[in-house]
Amino acid sequence: MQPPTRQTKSDLERVQRRAGYLFILPSFGLYAVFVLAPVILTFVLSFTYYDPMVGSRWVGLENFERFFTGDRSLQIFWNTLCFAIFAVAGNVIVGLLLALALNRAMPSFLLYLFRLAYFLPVIIAAAFVSIVWGYFYGDDLGVINYYLTRLGFAPVHWLTSSRTAMMSIIIMDVWKNAGFFMIIFIAALQGVPKSIMDAAIMDEPSYWRRFFRIILPWISPVVFFAIVYASIGALQVYESIVILTQGGPGDATRSMSIHIVEEAFGSFEIGYGASVSVIMTLIILIITSIQLLASRRWVRY
Amino acid sequence: MGPILIMKTKAAKRWIDRTIITFMAALGVVMLLPFAWLFSMSFRSPAEAYKMPPSFLPPSLDFKNYWAVLTSSIPFLQIYWNSVEVAVLVTLGQLVTCTLAAFAFARLTFPGRDSIFFVMLVGLMFPAQVTIIPIYLGFAQVGLLNRPIGLVLMYLTSSFGVFLVRQFMRSQPKALEEAALMDGAGYLKIFYRISLPQLRPALSALGIITFTQTWNYYFQARVLLEPQRAMTLPIAMDLLRGYLASGNLSVVMAAMSMAVLPVILIFLLAQKLVIEGVTMSGIKN
Repeated sequence: MQPPTRQTKSDLERVQRRAGYLFILPSFGLYAVFVLAPVILTFVLSFTYYDPMVGSRWVGLENFERFFTGDRSLQIFWNTLCFAIFAVAGNVIVGLLLALALNRAMPSFLLYLFRLAYFLPVIIAAAFVSIVWGYFYGDDLGVINYYLTRLGFAPVHWLTSSRTAMMSIIIMDVWKNAGFFMIIFIAALQGVPKSIMDAAIMDEPSYWRRFFRIILPWISPVVFFAIVYASIGALQVYESIVILTQGGPGDATRSMSIHIVEEAFGSFEIGYGASVSVIMTLIILIITSIQLLASRRWVRY
Repeated sequence: MGPILIMKTKAAKRWIDRTIITFMAALGVVMLLPFAWLFSMSFRSPAEAYKMPPSFLPPSLDFKNYWAVLTSSIPFLQIYWNSVEVAVLVTLGQLVTCTLAAFAFARLTFPGRDSIFFVMLVGLMFPAQVTIIPIYLGFAQVGLLNRPIGLVLMYLTSSFGVFLVRQFMRSQPKALEEAALMDGAGYLKIFYRISLPQLRPALSALGIITFTQTWNYYFQARVLLEPQRAMTLPIAMDLLRGYLASGNLSVVMAAMSMAVLPVILIFLLAQKLVIEGVTMSGIKN
């Protein structure tokens, strides 16, 4: 009895193994070609000077040194961090406020309309809405300045002054993305157990103290996730800036992504462009691993 | 005293609720103004394009500007077709490759399964910026540069899609599949006949996210597709703006209206699915 059963069992295992590899082959093959291999190649390229005619030459850390010592690249680095910090703060805070406002009983058609209004900007391409906002932000023919002057205020150089351009882009980014965080926070708020909410209402009659003492700590893992997720997106900012200001005035709004494209494909500084993208990836990896470590601690807690 | 006090606070609470809802409605209208402006502008006559005050409702339903886009020197229909082709092929491709892989990761046991899955998950952390340079160089060598099909190939699978479908499959009972296995059915048949029909919710979510995401790609398309006839809509918008803006803002907005239409339609028809899908794509960790 024993040998035949083992035979069929190992047969089954063999068939299953073969099926398993065949099923993942298309996906893993494409992944290896279009993600894994390019990432590894970019890391290698970042240590080289690449010349399409002659081939590449090993230059060690020269590209990275160039990035971290150049005045221009440092400003671009700072621009990107500055955009990320303010856009993330804006998106998370506004998203949370919207969620608190909408997390109450209301007729379902109202909920549908609210979701429509606040979520629509999230799913429309930044490339499209940036063009519309470009006209809203116009100096003389802009929609916003028209109303400002009608109300008796001085017109604002939304995109043409290096002091305000970055802020204008951040405002548009918050308009576009806050709805995404609102939805996440509504889900988190609805996950707070009713017993805790009831107890909180007894303990803390003041709404805002209740929020900071009890509700915010309860949803803090989600808030933390939102911050990390928003940071990863914000560090890659590209099309909204390209369309609104092309990185200007001067270099006032140029981001790392724009720098990568201009250097690698405009000036054909392939190695240097690769090193900038490696730096961006490393920042993202660090932020993500901090989240992984922290969420592990939260779970234990 | 007691009941009166409670009634009072209840009335107060209702009043607060109403105030907040009214405020949110007003804010919601403001949120939608850029879209209202875009559509109404697309119906304004060229002469009135820059006239103030701006309008947020279409003055008339005259499709002249739309016609002007289609007959302009920019190959708008070709560009539109490129976008449709890329988005549809990528969506179909991902549905196939991701479901196949997810089935293996969720239902089959084979050596190295978990480590391969982990390696695929790591892919979620790499931005497009860190893969684009080698892809550009490779495409240049094999003749895929400046061809929309190159963009399709790049995105025929996604770590996120595999992860999403696998998670969903693991939440489903596998009794039926085991029974079919006992009856001697092959894995392909089990996958096709039994697992696939159960996956409908996950697949529609994945399909919708992938379609909108692909429709909106800008960074990758801008690097890989340079000639006008190869462009997709998001990069062509900038081109249109450059060509036409000095002459006619309304025409640019007519082009924009056509470009955003598919995504808005999907959203109006399947709001819940879109929101669930997009948020799931966020909460992938």
